[in-house]
Amino acid sequence: MLEIKNLTKVYDDGTVALDNVSFTVQDGEFLVIIGLSGSGKSTLLRCINRLIEPTSGQIILDGVDITAASPAELRRIRRDIGMIFQHFNLVKRSTVMRNVLAGRLGYVNPWLSLLGIFPKEDKERAWKALELVGIAEKAYNRADALSGGQQQRVGIARALMQEPKLLLADEPVSALDPATSHSVLKYIELINRERGVTVMCSLHFLSLARTYATRIIALKDGKMMFDGLPEEIDDQRFKEIYGEEAVRVEVN
Amino acid sequence: MAQPNHNAPDSADRLGGNPLAAAGLSLVVPGSGQYLLGQTTRGLAILAGIGLSIGSILWQNMPTLFVFVAFAWLWNVWDAYSLARKATRSYLPPLFALLMVIYTVGWNITQIEPQKLAQQANRAAPIAHGMLAPDFVERESEFRKERGPFEVHCSDNPPPPTTTLKSGGTITLSATCGEVGDPLHVRAEGLWPNVETEIWWANPIGQEQRVVTPEGQQLIVTTDDTGSFEVDIEVPLAVPLSHDTGEPQLHAVQINQTRIIGGWKISDNGWLVITKMAETIAIALVATTFAVFFAVPLSFVAARNLMSGNPVTVAVYYVTRTLLNIVRSIESLIIAIVFVVWVGLGPFAGVMALTVHSIAALGKLYSEQVESIDFGPIEAVRSTGANWWQTVVYAVLPQVFPPFLAFTIYRWDINVRMSTILGFVGGGGIGFLIVQWQRLSQWEAIGAAFWSIMIIVAVLDYVSAKARERLI
Amino acid sequence: MDNQPWKKSPSPWKYGRSALLAVVIIAAYIYSFRVTELDLPRLVTDFPKAVPILQDFLTPDVLARGEQTESYVINYPVPCGSGQEAEIPDSGPRIVPSVPCSDPKTTITVEGFDLRPDTKVQLRWLLPDGRRLRSARATTDGNGHFNVEVEIRPIVAAKEGNISQLEAELQWESTGLMPSEALKITFAKIVETVFMALMATTFACLVAFPVGFLGARNIMGTGPVGTVVYYIARTIFNLMRSIEALVMAVMFAIWLGFGPFAGVMAMTVVTVASLSKLFSEAIESIDPGPMEAIVAAGGNRLQAIVYAVFPQVIPPFIAFAIYHWDINVRISTIIGFVGGGGIGLQLQTWINQLAYNKAGTAVWAIVIVVTILDNLSSQIRKRLV
Ligand SMILES: Nc1ncnc2c1ncn2[C@@H]1O[C@H](COP(=O)(O)OP(=O)(O)OP(=O)(O)O)[C@@H](O)[C@H]1O
Ligand SMILES: [Mg+2]
Repeated sequence: MLEIKNLTKVYDDGTVALDNVSFTVQDGEFLVIIGLSGSGKSTLLRCINRLIEPTSGQIILDGVDITAASPAELRRIRRDIGMIFQHFNLVKRSTVMRNVLAGRLGYVNPWLSLLGIFPKEDKERAWKALELVGIAEKAYNRADALSGGQQQRVGIARALMQEPKLLLADEPVSALDPATSHSVLKYIELINRERGVTVMCSLHFLSLARTYATRIIALKDGKMMFDGLPEEIDDQRFKEIYGEEAVRVEVN
Repeated sequence: MAQPNHNAPDSADRLGGNPLAAAGLSLVVPGSGQYLLGQTTRGLAILAGIGLSIGSILWQNMPTLFVFVAFAWLWNVWDAYSLARKATRSYLPPLFALLMVIYTVGWNITQIEPQKLAQQANRAAPIAHGMLAPDFVERESEFRKERGPFEVHCSDNPPPPTTTLKSGGTITLSATCGEVGDPLHVRAEGLWPNVETEIWWANPIGQEQRVVTPEGQQLIVTTDDTGSFEVDIEVPLAVPLSHDTGEPQLHAVQINQTRIIGGWKISDNGWLVITKMAETIAIALVATTFAVFFAVPLSFVAARNLMSGNPVTVAVYYVTRTLLNIVRSIESLIIAIVFVVWVGLGPFAGVMALTVHSIAALGKLYSEQVESIDFGPIEAVRSTGANWWQTVVYAVLPQVFPPFLAFTIYRWDINVRMSTILGFVGGGGIGFLIVQWQRLSQWEAIGAAFWSIMIIVAVLDYVSAKARERLI
Repeated sequence: MDNQPWKKSPSPWKYGRSALLAVVIIAAYIYSFRVTELDLPRLVTDFPKAVPILQDFLTPDVLARGEQTESYVINYPVPCGSGQEAEIPDSGPRIVPSVPCSDPKTTITVEGFDLRPDTKVQLRWLLPDGRRLRSARATTDGNGHFNVEVEIRPIVAAKEGNISQLEAELQWESTGLMPSEALKITFAKIVETVFMALMATTFACLVAFPVGFLGARNIMGTGPVGTVVYYIARTIFNLMRSIEALVMAVMFAIWLGFGPFAGVMAMTVVTVASLSKLFSEAIESIDPGPMEAIVAAGGNRLQAIVYAVFPQVIPPFIAFAIYHWDINVRISTIIGFVGGGGIGLQLQTWINQLAYNKAGTAVWAIVIVVTILDNLSSQIRKRLV
């Protein structure tokens, strides 16, 4: 269970990106965060694993306060939180396999890992993860030889290597075309359903959010605008979240 | 770097994937198995690597290194065997082995002896001292030299014991005649007070020599508040015994005083450094300017896109390119040798050498710019009915001018660096001073020269980088 | 917006500045032309002085006719009885002294029969102590016969029971062409030059690789320690950049003595400065995403560097290293002039001996090697980028 309490983030230049945000995520939820560009979605997700330092507030994962963790503790907590990025964040010149194994770095012996040595079971785990996302045959290709959708699946496999309790996904499909978006989200959904991994995912398109979310949170200018079930977002709510002029765009 | 697919052959497999045949071939001729299996690049690389290693080992006569070659050779057999069975082996171990050979041979050829850095640290000390105390500025000071006469081999009337000095003060000797080795007490009064004073000895023909302490150091005494001092010396041998006829000779005790009378000023060597440094920059400036005049027209002749019309122009293009490449690969320092013979020692030879090298270097850079010009504007201008010259002025020059200028500034920067050492072969500039001072072991002066080079180079580096940033 | 910007006149200050700049530039040129003692007509009038050296450069000493020799040795006791006399065969190529032994300070005739016709003969004494003493010269006639007077000097006398031998060496040029001595030396020296550059570049890489990270903002972070290290590193890079390899070589030549090691050290120092800066800039321009991903997965800083930074920076590093190797080969062709070893030192030696043909060999070797490396390095870099 993840609890966010009064989370506020003010950037050095004075931008208030998150303003007193509080909510709780139950295990096994597929929580989608929506909101306009600049509303603070990325900031929220990155505060959770402290890629960004929150200004104030608490983030408690299974009873452990992430905001109070020491650097060593933080690394241990981060192992339990997988992350998927908008631009995949793969090392393009490295092989797919090596990129996936990198997801295991928080577990393995740090010195051996610097020499590129991983335990056998981690390699097997990597094969399984790649099989799960359907790109095992590309394991020894260079990452930049893959298409965008395939690269994001590598990103998912990498996150799977951590055996996370919580998976953060920051606009995982906004660099992809609609059809590929669905295939990638399907894999995330699979992980959520079959492995019981809690997912927090920011998405741009409401239609996508509706399809996959078990619950939706909307942000506007750093404040929580909405917290509820996908069906509850009607035209009225939509206008509140996205502004008066916004038109609903459907992605099928 | 990494090949996406190691197994993709460069050409057809001519061994039918037979592992033993491949291994056997590679055992006899390294790389041949790989080559015939279709991995031509891999095969050739193996052959070249092993061949070169064996060549250098034999040449340098270092047979122990054959261990590494043997390792690479065996690996190559295994690799051919594996390749035939469609498995790829990492090429890092043999690469490492062959690199060991190359670097050991290189270490030997270049006579690298790291221990020398420590063992000969004493030789570096004077340079370090010179760098720390460069002879660039000195305190303004005045100097006085006073003498009290002394006869070696007494005559009938030796000089008076006390000499009154024109600029004030007296020198009194305990005896004014005697033999070499006699003790002598020197007392001086009314000199400059509180100044370190050197005691010298002047022989009858005016040659001066230092009076030394028993340890062999220059004898130095410091005057007191009233400008007096007393010191005991021995009459030194100042005339070679072979010239000593036994006649009385008029020597003198000499006192040298230097006192600081003002602030800092640039020392003589400092001025030399400044003038020669200015000359250095001037050489680079003139040479770069000359070079531009030749390089601009040449660059159009050496541009493929402008010269690809007919066989004649293509031939001209290739000849120009080849000449530029040849000249460019000869450093100005080498070209300077020719010009020193041709026009004599001095900055002019340096200017000519830098000019010739810069023409080639700039010609190449310029021509690459010309090759990358956009033909759109040229067509546009031509379509307005402009003639050839108008086209050049309105469509070509505006495109190439900023990069040309940037390259020119860059070249000037390099030329300044190069002209600092043209003096080593007689080409003028500050290098000439460095060679001289090096011979005379004048480390402080060399220090001043080095610092000035570093400062000027740093400033020009900065200025040229800024200027180029604005241009590109 | 000014609606007629073209009518706006530049401020007087701007005019003043341009005028001032023009004056400064003109003054600089006037000074430069005077101080460099330009004497362009001399280029023409003194051209004859340059002709021999240019001719020699254009006809480098590459090939030589191989010398072939053949020698015949006989025992020759001086004085008589001090040792075994030679047994002279009756036919075949042979040399025959007029007397089988003699005393010092006498003169004998030596004849040769059935030798190679029309060939130079050098007579030599092989002394008991191993030294060689040149004696008379002769030339064989069309029948392979020569006849020459040889003086018996006291020095050829037997010592401690060992006698001198008389050698007749026939020397002629073989028909085939061989690489000349200058070519062999040039080859050895050019290889030394290339290796000097290679060693210097390698050493420089070993230093610059770790140091480059210290000068990269994104690696050093924004903490106080990181910031201080970053600024120190950057300042040192910038200061070191103004060091000239050739000036450095002067210092190292004094320190380590003339030779390739001094050159290697000088180039190493200069290359470290340049590579560190390039390396740190390359590190700064990487995509930060992968590093973030590894940190998010719980990896530590070192792991992030090895897994996310190394793969991104190695190719540009190799490209820079090869580029500097190329530059260093150019420098090492001349670093010998200031004491740094390599082909430059040899070139200078030959020039001081006025052996311009040989110098020409060296110059052409430089042209060839520099051109090859230049092409090679740009090919490799093109592939890497
Ligand atoms: N490093 C930063 N420094 C200062 N302000 C920042 C920084 N990063 C983000 N911001 C600001 O914080 C606010 C929230 O940004 P955030 O990236 O969280 O938005 P987002 O919802 O993810 O937007 P998008 O959909 O465009 O990714 C924005 O106003 C943004 O300009
Ligand atoms: Mg975002």
